[in-house]
Amino acid sequence: MNRHQTLSSQEIDLARHCLEYALSQGAQKCRISLSKTVMNLIGLLNGEVDKTSHALDRSMQVQLFVDGRYGSFSSNRLEKEGLEAFIREAIATVRMLEADSFRTLPAPERLSKDARSGRELDLYDDAYDTLTATDRRELALASMAWESLRDGQEGWKLIAEEGEYSDNVFDSVTLDSQGLYARHTETSFEIGYESTIEDAEGRHFSSYWWDARARLKDLQWKGCARKACERAVQQLAPQRVEGGAYTLIVDSECASKLVTPLMSALGGFSIQQNNSFLVDSLGKKLFPEQLNILDLPRTAGDSGCRLFDSEGVATREMPIIENGVVRTYFLNSYIAGKMGLEPTVEDATRVVLQPTGGCSTLEELLEKAGDGILVTGFNGGNSNPATGNFSYGIEGFLIRGGRRVHPVREMLITGNFLSLWGNLLATADDARPCLSKRIPSLAFTNVDFSA
Amino acid sequence: MIENRQYYFDTFLVDEKVLGRLVAECMAGGASYCDLYFENTTYASLLLRDGAVTSGGNHVDFGVGVRVLSGEKTGYAYSESTAWPDLLSCARAAAQIASQPVEVNPYGTRNPSRGEPNPAARGVPLSAFLPFLQKLEAEVRRRDQRIIKVIANLAFQVSDILMYNSDKELKWDTRPMGSISLSVVFQQGGQTENKSTSRSFRQGAEMLTEALLQEMAGEVVSGIDERFAARRPKGGRMSVVMGAGASGILLHEAMGHAFEADFNRKGTSIFADKMGKQICPRGIHIIDDGTLPGKRGSLNFDDEGIPGQKTYMVVDGVLTSYLHDRISAAHYGVRPTGNGRRESFRYAPLPRMRATYMESGTAKAQELIAEVQKGVFVDEFSNGQVQIGEGDFTFYVKSGFLIENGRLTQPVKDINIIGNGPEALADIRGVADDLLIDPGAWTCGKEQSVPVSCGIPTVLIGSLTVGGE
Repeated sequence: MNRHQTLSSQEIDLARHCLEYALSQGAQKCRISLSKTVMNLIGLLNGEVDKTSHALDRSMQVQLFVDGRYGSFSSNRLEKEGLEAFIREAIATVRMLEADSFRTLPAPERLSKDARSGRELDLYDDAYDTLTATDRRELALASMAWESLRDGQEGWKLIAEEGEYSDNVFDSVTLDSQGLYARHTETSFEIGYESTIEDAEGRHFSSYWWDARARLKDLQWKGCARKACERAVQQLAPQRVEGGAYTLIVDSECASKLVTPLMSALGGFSIQQNNSFLVDSLGKKLFPEQLNILDLPRTAGDSGCRLFDSEGVATREMPIIENGVVRTYFLNSYIAGKMGLEPTVEDATRVVLQPTGGCSTLEELLEKAGDGILVTGFNGGNSNPATGNFSYGIEGFLIRGGRRVHPVREMLITGNFLSLWGNLLATADDARPCLSKRIPSLAFTNVDFSA
Repeated sequence: MIENRQYYFDTFLVDEKVLGRLVAECMAGGASYCDLYFENTTYASLLLRDGAVTSGGNHVDFGVGVRVLSGEKTGYAYSESTAWPDLLSCARAAAQIASQPVEVNPYGTRNPSRGEPNPAARGVPLSAFLPFLQKLEAEVRRRDQRIIKVIANLAFQVSDILMYNSDKELKWDTRPMGSISLSVVFQQGGQTENKSTSRSFRQGAEMLTEALLQEMAGEVVSGIDERFAARRPKGGRMSVVMGAGASGILLHEAMGHAFEADFNRKGTSIFADKMGKQICPRGIHIIDDGTLPGKRGSLNFDDEGIPGQKTYMVVDGVLTSYLHDRISAAHYGVRPTGNGRRESFRYAPLPRMRATYMESGTAKAQELIAEVQKGVFVDEFSNGQVQIGEGDFTFYVKSGFLIENGRLTQPVKDINIIGNGPEALADIRGVADDLLIDPGAWTCGKEQSVPVSCGIPTVLIGSLTVGGE
């Protein structure tokens, strides 16, 4: 591991010193998180390098518990004397706030004890250390498709191909005054393209494709630019479709849009504030039997996995929704104390929706759905956290007999999350590994489309 | 609040000689232009929740961004340290856009500091603001017995900025930003509803007046009866009357982004070949303005050192200007319009909006509503999105009313409005005389987050798709 790209022992010692210094200045408890990120980026436009970027970020977050009061502070000016002054000022600020008896550190037995080196989850690629600026530029240039696609075909031409290759190494350490030491280190390699085409009438259509992996050898960079262009071409000649109730099929690329609001509604903060449509849902069967959503944060080699949450609490594999029954809220120490419940973790780390219905691919799922509308992207929209009502703009295709008929335009879906999930028909088994949530393509019956 | 030049030199531990040497290093490989952007931002916040201000903090973000241009190509690097070896590494990393790839030594290992955090409210302790939040909560609760939760968040940010470039232009600025947001949960029977409001200005503690407190408390409880009674309408294509103020997000998303010159330079915008052409009815003027005093989107200088200015994008229905940064201005052979903005020193500037609005027309709002046989009136939005290439936009409407036979009837909520930017512009049927710049904390998220303002008078659009049951 290149010591310049990850946290040095001197930097970690500085974090330790700040922890001790805070305690010496009157804090009764303290937690410090120190992070460092090094990033390189090559931007491409129409066959040429258009942008390069190199960056190094460091940040120290200091959470102070002083005389029954709490405050959170951060700085990227990591010099010892300056930080000492910063902490003295921070402690004085905390003393001005109102007391809150629920602010405390997690119980020691809940803290992570198995994240010592940062590499336990096998998310650091040693190839990062030997990657040169020339390597990065060559990889980026090799990923382009501009020269072969620029002339287009009958009915369209490519007018812009924008791409980005980037990589970074992220390293963080969290310490607290109870002896917590938890470290997480990972590399990430990402490629992404956006292509814009013009049809014979001068109308523009654009689409994207991307991939991201913890290991360079796994990055699917070949064909990324071509796929972005193909997705744009598929959108040619969209037609308005009459509104009404259709079977909704959502591609795995964007299916998490329908899962994220469930996770937010199970967040302790939303529950405690009564600003969630899943208040009082614990242990209740609100979803169909076939729905199983888990948090699997400890799978070695899977990007997004973490051995500890932001409080330093050890993550664990657990069901979130099991056979349709809500099994957990996400409760940090503070919210759990306020609600009088046992704490869990701050948030879901690696959400996995288990496939159901026997389909492997999106094509099989389309066949099972028969007729409906395939959604390949969401365009705006929102949901009401208190009621679960949602309305999203969509892009996608009219489906007849399991086959794409034509793209649709200016369509919206509206509904309520509980009723939507109650109409879950089936899923594919095609979750994208590059996404933080592993959600396969989904199919729901009887969804309201407006057009 | 703006200090003298030496204050900024002292803040960033540089002088003219250092700036000159750094620029020379950036230009050594044959670059056509370079600029340096030093930033020291302090951010202080307080959170009231469950009846008490029990959380708060200060945050410091310090660094320098170095941009090197080779024609229209950009090399960018930044450092959180302004020590010379780190500045040098940063310059060499950015300069490689004009030369061959070079290996860059990691930097940021030294980080000189002046020590104490710069209090965001400039000398006013955070404790001074507790009574305001406490009084705000009490005032809100006093106004409606159905309130079960109140959250108020107060934040003050101050950014010291120093800019220097290869044209030897030296600019400095101090940018304040005060923001307060209020979110309330109501319960009536078994039904829960939430409402929120915000204010954000380029001001400090002086913005916390009794008038502001009363205004926000009144606004967050007003219309809650309608919210509880609101239903989703039957969806379909219908006329839409956009209420004055927050509906300006329509201009921002559906038109403003497509006027940003980078999208046009790359040919991706739907307005890429529309310069000088009639794109909406005569009498309509659309403006992006950095000069409105105290507005969230206003700037003395943009992040390339170009003075804040007022830019007419559409005059009498004709597209007259894109929004330019230095790169796009050079591409089109025009002067920059002061729209080169960035989230922080970590980002290269891009053409971005400031305060975007449509000038008032001559109609009355009630007249526009009276013209509609079947449609919706919308006045509160949560967010919007646009596809630049196609021009298709979507807005989420939190509240409004059905219009039936020229009158507001059933309250509606939680719907989307979808349309196409150029088509919607061309379909404007009337503009009222009640332009309002919304005072809320709008943030634009095009690759980077920057504060903006938006506004619009009441506007009637002939036909848009409204999502409903």
